[in-house]
Amino acid sequence: MLFNSLSFVVFMIIVLILYYSPILNWPNKKRMLLISSYVFYGMWNPPLIILLWISTMIDWTAGKQLVKEKDQNRRKLWLLLSMSVNLGFLAFFKYGDFLLDNFIALANAIGFEYQPYKMDIILPMGISFYTFQTMSYTIDLYKKKIEPAKTFLDFALYVTFFPQLVAGPIVRSKDLITQFYTPKKATVKQFIWGLFLLTLGMFQKVVLADTFLSDTSDRVFAPDQVLNFIDAWTGTLAFSGQIFFDFAGYSTCAIGIALMLGIILPDNFMYPYASLGFSDLWKRWHISLSSWLKDYLYIPLGGNRYGITRMYAALMVTMLLGGLWHGAAWTFIVWGGLHGSYLILERLQRQYLPFKINSKNGIFLAFLTFTCVNITWVFFRAREFDTAWSMIKSMFFLNPDGEKILPGFDIIKVLTVIGLLFLCHWFMRNTNVKEVTSKMSPLSLGVVWAIMLFLITIAQGSGEQFIYFQF
Amino acid sequence: MNLKKSFFVAAIFAIVALTCWEFYWRAQGYHPELEDNKALWAVQRGKVNYASSKDIVLLGDSRMLFDLQLDAWEKETGIRPIQLASAGTTPLPAFHDLVENTDFSGTVLLSVHPGIFFSSTDETAFLWRRIKVRIDHYYDRTYAQKLNHFLDIPLQYTFTFLRSDDEEWTDDLNLKNLVNNIRVGNREGEPFPPFYRFQDIAIDRNTKMYDKVVTDTAFANSIIKVWMGDGGPPPEKEATMAYFLKDLEKFKSRGGRVISVRFPSSGGLLKGEEEAFPRKDFWDELKNRAEIPAYHYKDYAQLNSFYCPEWSHLSASDADTFTTELVKILKKDKVLIN
Repeated sequence: MLFNSLSFVVFMIIVLILYYSPILNWPNKKRMLLISSYVFYGMWNPPLIILLWISTMIDWTAGKQLVKEKDQNRRKLWLLLSMSVNLGFLAFFKYGDFLLDNFIALANAIGFEYQPYKMDIILPMGISFYTFQTMSYTIDLYKKKIEPAKTFLDFALYVTFFPQLVAGPIVRSKDLITQFYTPKKATVKQFIWGLFLLTLGMFQKVVLADTFLSDTSDRVFAPDQVLNFIDAWTGTLAFSGQIFFDFAGYSTCAIGIALMLGIILPDNFMYPYASLGFSDLWKRWHISLSSWLKDYLYIPLGGNRYGITRMYAALMVTMLLGGLWHGAAWTFIVWGGLHGSYLILERLQRQYLPFKINSKNGIFLAFLTFTCVNITWVFFRAREFDTAWSMIKSMFFLNPDGEKILPGFDIIKVLTVIGLLFLCHWFMRNTNVKEVTSKMSPLSLGVVWAIMLFLITIAQGSGEQFIYFQF
Repeated sequence: MNLKKSFFVAAIFAIVALTCWEFYWRAQGYHPELEDNKALWAVQRGKVNYASSKDIVLLGDSRMLFDLQLDAWEKETGIRPIQLASAGTTPLPAFHDLVENTDFSGTVLLSVHPGIFFSSTDETAFLWRRIKVRIDHYYDRTYAQKLNHFLDIPLQYTFTFLRSDDEEWTDDLNLKNLVNNIRVGNREGEPFPPFYRFQDIAIDRNTKMYDKVVTDTAFANSIIKVWMGDGGPPPEKEATMAYFLKDLEKFKSRGGRVISVRFPSSGGLLKGEEEAFPRKDFWDELKNRAEIPAYHYKDYAQLNSFYCPEWSHLSASDADTFTTELVKILKKDKVLIN
């Protein structure tokens, strides 16, 4: 079920009525939330709920054993079971076709004719999110960093909680499970703020991403065309905005919906397009994933504990796998590789060419970072390497006779939206929406809110997928 | 921060703005209309699974959609056909789907518009892709999408500002279309001529041309301009014929019947069609090779007296008469089984 759909409006109204009705006590409210979460997921493809159940059962059992078991080798085996099941699901459902295709290509390259049937595996929605979330639970238990969930219900709800089930934020158990222990009820202020965040998230997704930017990006990234410099940059900027508004919009909706139930989810985006360098970017973009990768991949790989070379290797492996997490294609791996390279170059710059960031060079640095990020988005968005290369060439003036395919107004529209996005991120980088709105008069906030509601309604989101559902 | 106050201000302002927006568009002459979208098509496609051998399925392009009126057909035969024709699409994929994925053994009434029917068997071709999207949606639609469609219908019947369509008409009222209609300069060359919606569609996809097309020549001319804009790629006669005949053989072998119809066209469009697709090379050859009842409007005085106001489709009242006359001919020839 999509947040920007009529079915979700009906679903949410029913959930809220049940949640705030006095007939249910807290455990029953949690049961209701759990069942609602399965309905939310099953409205897309009911049989795939079984994967959620398997993941939940295995990790609950492994978690209990990790707490009970004293023998370190046996504890390792329980952790291995949990990780094998979750990563096994990912490997089969998300990377099955990719692995097979590469195996065939390799076999054919060495002269071995092998042509098996295509598996055409369905990618279960949100599998990358809930498997990472539930793995963090068993890993943290293994490291004795957290207490186990008190009841199976609390744990199952943690794995399945519908606001963040399919596209994050990826929440750590200590931040969410503990909230389920005591009855939760949003205050009137929290409820209305949740509604505001839901509106803001919808506005980002339906109006900014889908209405203003998606068509331009789709047109420019269509295969088999050689584009003019302006068209290539406009399309890339459009995608840059689209993916931010799409994903940040989803996270904002998720945070708002959870808040309407009295549950607090962490921020997932902090104005990333005004980042001062790439370390800063990854503290601001998809924060829940980057912190997951740091804690469960980069640090176990050695982090910065074993010298510079090992640190760079750990950084690169983390970013390459981070790229692969986003999709089963070599273009995503290149995207991750570029980010890894940027991070390494930034560390080298800090070591050999250090300089102080001030208000004068800050915006220039933010703009430079944003420009470099845009180059990586080309590989992220293009389905084929040929398309990506052609785009990159156009962006660097190497296709002087490139086609002009975008209407003049499209270019103005995209540059205006992205220009405002960049400036907004720059001015908001040290504050947040709550702080800014708290300085506004109730009337002005109400008018801004009304404008967003009006535009969402007349944009009529046709229920297009959120981009991050496919990851 | 007084959030309660902001909330009420937002709710009141949004309701007032939307009410004004709705009345503005009504004042411009628009009215609430159903979308002819993939969800509406998929509901009709679902009916084929429960259809009996007495049922009729309509396949083809917009000529079948406009010119064959379900009410008139039902009045004459007692059976309401299932309308699966889809504007600007070849009927081949939908017929293939019917043959391969259903047990349907009733009658298929097939619009043979040579420029479209013989266009291509390439799955990426425009006329093929458009119907394939709808067929795929029928199989892939989720429970949430079914519920969305069910909830959306009453809203489409109520609000003019929701006017939108898969066709992406120039006068769709969604924000994306309103923004995309803004033009600055002529950077990408001559734009496609404006294509305004010119029909109403009912919940069972019975489609009627707006009266405005008949009464407003300038409006009709704007549509003619679209038809005359692009001749399309050269036909793939042998490939399309072979594709159709293979499916036809299988359909016939399980007792299914196909009746082909060539609906009227007029003016310069008819002239162009006759030049590009000579009757003996396309229509007659298909008729002979398929060995199915085939009705070309020019062969019957009752069907040959209509003028298409925008050269390609019949007005609503003419479509009623055309359907009634066609059924009478089919009955007389005993090709309809009741």
